[in-house]
Amino acid sequence: MLTYVLRRVPSALLVLLLASMLIFLLLRLIPGDPAATLAGPDASPEAVAAIRGELGLDRPVPEQYLDWLGALLTGDLGRSYLIGGRVGDLLADGAANTLVLASASLVLAVALAAVLGPLWAAGRNRWLDRALTGFTTAAVALPPYVTGVLLVLLFGVAARLLPTGGVPPGGLADRPDITVQYLLMPAVCLALPVAAVLTRFFGESLRTELGRDHVTTATAAGIPRHRIVLRHAVRNAVPASVTVLGLQVGNLLGGAVLVEAVFSWPGLGMLVQQGIDRRDYPVVQVLLLLSVAVFVLVQLCTDLVHAGLDPRVRLGSRS
Amino acid sequence: MNSHPLSRRRLLHGIGLGAAALAAAGCESAVGLQERAANAVAIPRPGGTAKLGLTLDLIPKNLFTNTGPAITALIGLVYDTLVRYPARGLEPRPALATEWWPAPDGLGLTLKLREDVRFHTGRTFTSADVEFSLRTYADPKWNGQLRSTAAAITGIDTSRPHEVALRFAHPLSNVFDLLDTVPIIDSETAAGIGTGERFVGTGPFRFVSWRPNTDLRFERNPDYFVPERPYLDEVQARIIPEKSSLLSALKAGQVHFADALSHRDVESAEKYGAITPITLEGAELQIYTGANVTAPPLDDLRIRQAIAHALDRDRIIAEVFRGTGFASSLPWPEDSPAHDPVRAARYVRDLPRARSLVGQHGGPLPVIPLTYVGNDTSQSAVAQIVQSDLAAAGIRVELDPLENSRFTKQLIGGEFRGLWVANHSWAQFSPSTLTVSAYPFNARKNASHFSSPGYTGAATAAWQLPSATGERAGAAYAALSDQLLDSLFLIEIGVYWHRWAHTSALRGIGYRRRRELDLTDAFLA
Repeated sequence: MLTYVLRRVPSALLVLLLASMLIFLLLRLIPGDPAATLAGPDASPEAVAAIRGELGLDRPVPEQYLDWLGALLTGDLGRSYLIGGRVGDLLADGAANTLVLASASLVLAVALAAVLGPLWAAGRNRWLDRALTGFTTAAVALPPYVTGVLLVLLFGVAARLLPTGGVPPGGLADRPDITVQYLLMPAVCLALPVAAVLTRFFGESLRTELGRDHVTTATAAGIPRHRIVLRHAVRNAVPASVTVLGLQVGNLLGGAVLVEAVFSWPGLGMLVQQGIDRRDYPVVQVLLLLSVAVFVLVQLCTDLVHAGLDPRVRLGSRS
Repeated sequence: MNSHPLSRRRLLHGIGLGAAALAAAGCESAVGLQERAANAVAIPRPGGTAKLGLTLDLIPKNLFTNTGPAITALIGLVYDTLVRYPARGLEPRPALATEWWPAPDGLGLTLKLREDVRFHTGRTFTSADVEFSLRTYADPKWNGQLRSTAAAITGIDTSRPHEVALRFAHPLSNVFDLLDTVPIIDSETAAGIGTGERFVGTGPFRFVSWRPNTDLRFERNPDYFVPERPYLDEVQARIIPEKSSLLSALKAGQVHFADALSHRDVESAEKYGAITPITLEGAELQIYTGANVTAPPLDDLRIRQAIAHALDRDRIIAEVFRGTGFASSLPWPEDSPAHDPVRAARYVRDLPRARSLVGQHGGPLPVIPLTYVGNDTSQSAVAQIVQSDLAAAGIRVELDPLENSRFTKQLIGGEFRGLWVANHSWAQFSPSTLTVSAYPFNARKNASHFSSPGYTGAATAAWQLPSATGERAGAAYAALSDQLLDSLFLIEIGVYWHRWAHTSALRGIGYRRRRELDLTDAFLA
């Protein structure tokens, strides 16, 4: 297992290095200028040039990149051009909010898939099948901002049951009962597409497992159905579903950008959106690199879990 | 088993339902908390928290550029100015300065200051703070729009703690615009402004905290120099970048106030009921079409005149701005000393004349790019109407929507390839302020690449008048207006009023001439 881990880590680091170069370069290739945003529409070109000099944007791009990378390696993430604060602090605040939202969504998605997947696999009721197909198709097809707006109009504006957006005034940890209400709509909105994909994949995997010979043998041997499902089918269907779940985490983080915008949830998605709008390079490049790092890490963990659950992966890798 | 009155399944159902009921009873509703806060005060009286929804977050370094709703809210709540213009007219009224008198030679102004004013730190406000604020505003690093006027103040005498004497390099017709605009800041904590850590002024509310992308908080200044003001205990400003989300929050009563909604959204919110619009008369904006006068065919004045005659200004004001404004060939609001109804109507929609002017140009016209901010619904709508109007006159236009950041860069850099649509401000102040402060009108360098001795002379003459009003000023403004109408490097479409929306729970909302939010007299009802 250790050899397997050691073999995967260098490639992950290389991906991160290449991603950092690409992100840095692409951001500077996008038209727009943070100095112009700082100066405002009534500024003169001279004022903009002075701000560019102050921010160090007039230096050669490779020099800027090496400075940034060097600082990054010493733990200095830099300062936001526009907000003025340290990127590390902004990141910590945003990450906490996004983590809470993504975790809640993930739990919801997994719970939904765990309930609906077996129903999908059972396929005994035509109407239930149609309902599940309709639900999963709609959940995948509807963009989160459409679902979000619909939820807000229904539960926020019309019924006035839930807050339309934002975070609790006292913070997430102050009143858990209040926090849950602020969290509910964005979490559902973010969880639905992930839950739909997971439900379909888990359901199909289960269905495949239930059709295998060993299940027929176990049924013939008189082993109760629930025991066959839990001990044999689910156990074999879960590893592949975990891999899909790992891929869905990426979608979850991507979807968070839209959901946070719709619900004014001040997480990393909102931070990156504002950063891109205003060309706040230090914030955006760290956030993008962080999302790549999270994705690489999740993939690494997924592979490790997969290898742990399925010895053939480890053995295949060794051979 | 089935005959047992309480089966295991029924027991589990019962436990589940009971737990849900207990949880429901134990949990408070977040919406309920918000509504109770709003309804707790049935009659107008001091106290309560006003909840604002703002679409753009703070950029601390933009404090002196007065751009963005978070900045204008912050300035209006935390800072005072030396004088205050009323909603209409340019007669300054006392604020931190109680009275003033000009120097006999027209090259100075002395102001007497209030003696009972303290900063939020408790320090007494003196003439040294006026000097510090004006000098800071004049510092190029802050990009204050009236910087050239501040820089023309060559001497500041602060020998008396509650009197300040200003000396000018030349007569300044717009000096009161500067004094109405510059926030008086605390020199001891000014270093915290750029990083967004501290904003200390003398205004009705004290800055408490800023959570980027989340909210801004303010609390009542108990030492405010206006007796028994402000009424509110606290102001919470939530950052809600999506306008549709802001509208939903307003309709749901979860914010009391919303800025930056489009005119259509405000109209729709008003129809929804319990939403009241505030039309910011006196704080006008102007919508215009700019022209790069070096790019063919816009280098031909006849084509710019054809555009001016092709535009259906009334339609734009009616459809895009829902009638809250008026068509005009000049930027001046109706109460501006430069306003002249005859000149303002010089260019009206006249398609035969527009086509004739296009014909005089001779030869086929190239397609002209029309640049605008693509995610601004109002500007997009204006751009589409302009495209249609110009097509009717035989001028083909290609729409070129850009992000705001790219648009600003192209505006400042003079990079537009043809026409552009944007709005501007500053015409609600002394007319000379427009030409020395708004970059598109700058006589020395502007996005249109236009320059002429006549325009520069007229702009300078208007700026260096001893007073912003009077017969001499009127003649100078007429000359300036004629220069704008004759050169047409900026083709004005009309003057319009920005609109805010608020719920009936928050009353007494005011504003200053640059759309700074004033909650001194606001209360929850």
